[in-house]
Amino acid sequence: MNIESTTPVAPNDSESQRPVPEAIRQGASATTESTQNSQRRIRRSKTFYGICVSVSFLSIVVLAVLLISIAVQGRSRLTPTLLTGAHSTSEPASSGMYPAIIGSLSICAVCALSALPLGIGTAIFLEEFQPTNPWLRRLHGFLNLNISNLAGVPSIVYGLLGLSLFVFMFNAFGQIKVNESSGTELMGVERYYQILTLAGGGDSVLVRQTDLALPTITITEPIEAVDRDGNTFRLEVWDPKSGTPKPKDPATQHRTVRLGQSGGAYAKTSWYYFRLPFGRSFLAAGLTLSLVILPIVIIAAQEALRSVSPSLREASYGLGATKWQTVRNVSLPAAIPGIMTGAILAMGRAIGEAAPILVVLGATVAKNSGPQNLMDTVVTMPVLIFHWAGDPQVTYQQLAAAAIIVLLLVLLLMNSLAIYLRQKIRVE
Amino acid sequence: MNYRNWIACVATLLVSGIVVSGCSKSTPSPSDGNTATVDDMPESNLVGAIKIDGSSTVQPISDAVREEFIKLHPQVDVTVSGNGTGNGFKAFYDKGADISDASRPIKPGEFEKCQANGVSFIELPVAYDGLTIAVNPENDWVKELTVEQLTKMFVGEDAAKKWSDVDPSWPDQPIKIFAPGTGSGTYDYFHEVLAKANKQELREDMTLNENDNILVQGVAGNKYSVGFFGVAYYTANKDRLRAVPIVNPKDDVAYEPTVENISSNKYAPFSRPLFIYVNSESLNRAEVQVFVEFYIENVSDLCEAANSVRLPQSMIDQAQANLDAREEGTHFVTADGESREGSFAELFVSENLVK
Repeated sequence: MNIESTTPVAPNDSESQRPVPEAIRQGASATTESTQNSQRRIRRSKTFYGICVSVSFLSIVVLAVLLISIAVQGRSRLTPTLLTGAHSTSEPASSGMYPAIIGSLSICAVCALSALPLGIGTAIFLEEFQPTNPWLRRLHGFLNLNISNLAGVPSIVYGLLGLSLFVFMFNAFGQIKVNESSGTELMGVERYYQILTLAGGGDSVLVRQTDLALPTITITEPIEAVDRDGNTFRLEVWDPKSGTPKPKDPATQHRTVRLGQSGGAYAKTSWYYFRLPFGRSFLAAGLTLSLVILPIVIIAAQEALRSVSPSLREASYGLGATKWQTVRNVSLPAAIPGIMTGAILAMGRAIGEAAPILVVLGATVAKNSGPQNLMDTVVTMPVLIFHWAGDPQVTYQQLAAAAIIVLLLVLLLMNSLAIYLRQKIRVE
Repeated sequence: MNYRNWIACVATLLVSGIVVSGCSKSTPSPSDGNTATVDDMPESNLVGAIKIDGSSTVQPISDAVREEFIKLHPQVDVTVSGNGTGNGFKAFYDKGADISDASRPIKPGEFEKCQANGVSFIELPVAYDGLTIAVNPENDWVKELTVEQLTKMFVGEDAAKKWSDVDPSWPDQPIKIFAPGTGSGTYDYFHEVLAKANKQELREDMTLNENDNILVQGVAGNKYSVGFFGVAYYTANKDRLRAVPIVNPKDDVAYEPTVENISSNKYAPFSRPLFIYVNSESLNRAEVQVFVEFYIENVSDLCEAANSVRLPQSMIDQAQANLDAREEGTHFVTADGESREGSFAELFVSENLVK
């Protein structure tokens, strides 16, 4: 009975409708020939049904094989360490992906915060505010065409765009160079020189940097220094050639440096540290990903708005509502489930992208924490998986498989949260 | 459907996003389980940020050193990127990195750029990397290979199509070659050893793949195949591959790619030194200075975990001496801007140092 119901739906609507009355007429004449004819058609229909089932079954089998092989390979590494540890070269077994999970989520947050408002706004403009002037209509059509084209552009191209647009900002705000400049810094940074003391073992003191043009300082006389709690004290100088013995007392050693000891610049940053250009930061990566998913968000939101029944809008206009009131109270609420479906798909794509992230952030995998400030770099899950999967050691390959499972779970969690929110909106 | 409700929902979604990213910012750096705390020593107050970029072969070594370093100095932020030796040097002379990881010595062009941009550096060898020529374990005819035989097999368009073309006593079967992608340092290195001197290219009908695991599978799955890749991939797959001993052109003895043979430079010409190049201006910064000293001191113990072979102690001593004396410049480019020819051990002497 399924078979009969599928046949009329499958091919072109208008043409498939026509044979039906003909068949009825033939059936009415009830000749042997027409029985054979109908049996042949039913046979064909069954074959088509079989092909449909096997094709869809094939894709499910491929997916199942993929998931099972990953699960088998990664099973032994699905431990708490995987969620709490960081990438480790000297002890591969203790490697984890905590920084990568945090990194991916923070990039996705930046991406969602920038792409969703922009994308939904664009879709509202394109669907709800269609101009009447023929020239503006043409421009409108041109915009629509371009957005559809952008959806098909490979993500690595967006990566290169993001590199010049966000990472370097076309060098309009200066270049970030070690020992020289950090671009245009807007807030959240204090500058010091760091000088090694006599205590050794990497013990150091900070001296405030007054002239930004001087990247190094050479200590020749006692100078005012700052300790890590922000208290100032006098930094003493010990001259090895003067004959005075080297201070033995650790407290004194911590406050004394060798004569002629040089120190380099150190920038102390707060979490809100902000500068232009963004450099290789998670902010730049998130904004680049938002470029990747923007066309998807726009197209999905457009489709959702288009499917809102015009009668709803007309009723709103009929009540005297303005265009903005109609969009706010009628079209957008009705379209929200569709828009959210698009957003879910887009975020799913964003969290799995590796190519643009590799271009923007480089192939860094060793990091023990999430971003420390707005300009900090991050490790993301796809890049970490890419790195682990290419390593010769079996441990890393198992870790890669386990990390894929975690990535899928994170994706599933994000999607179910969005679906839950969507259902909640619908019910209310 | 209520307008207020859905705006509240969207707001919840966005706020949760901010909270997630906000939380991560306030997370202190040693929050993961594997950071060892040394109880009897006061925590180092060294701060700062070090940027490293370059070869993906050296990246695991730098990662391993970084890992040990931040156990002692948890407030130093060391970023190790592995974008390739060429890209690493580009970042280095554009002042985008303090340290450049390199799987080959600096090229004359890159050296000129450094000079033009006012970047002076200290060149420090850190470890050896070996290149393995591997065949299928069922291959019972190849006992050893000479550089001439390898040239016949790998170089030029008229390269041997069948094993019997290389040696008439070998089977009359086509050679199936698996090789790393043209963008990799390993391909460059193989090309340099076999083909560069004669201004030729490697044959184009090899199966190239950037993923060395696929090369291993290829060689392991075909009796008549041969491949080359980093020695680490061979060590990790010893049971599925057989490494071919290579005849050293100097003493005509074939050597296996073992740690001892690579480290003593007997496995020639397929072992190569790995370097770090340190910007000497960055070396004024306390954190870079402490890090590089730690690097040279500990790299020999750490590089084995990173699939490389330790340098002889004499080399490390010389690197240490160069670092202490702040000897700037390279050993591998002449004053006229030409690459020097010769083995690493011959070239890495202070007479060859050019600023």
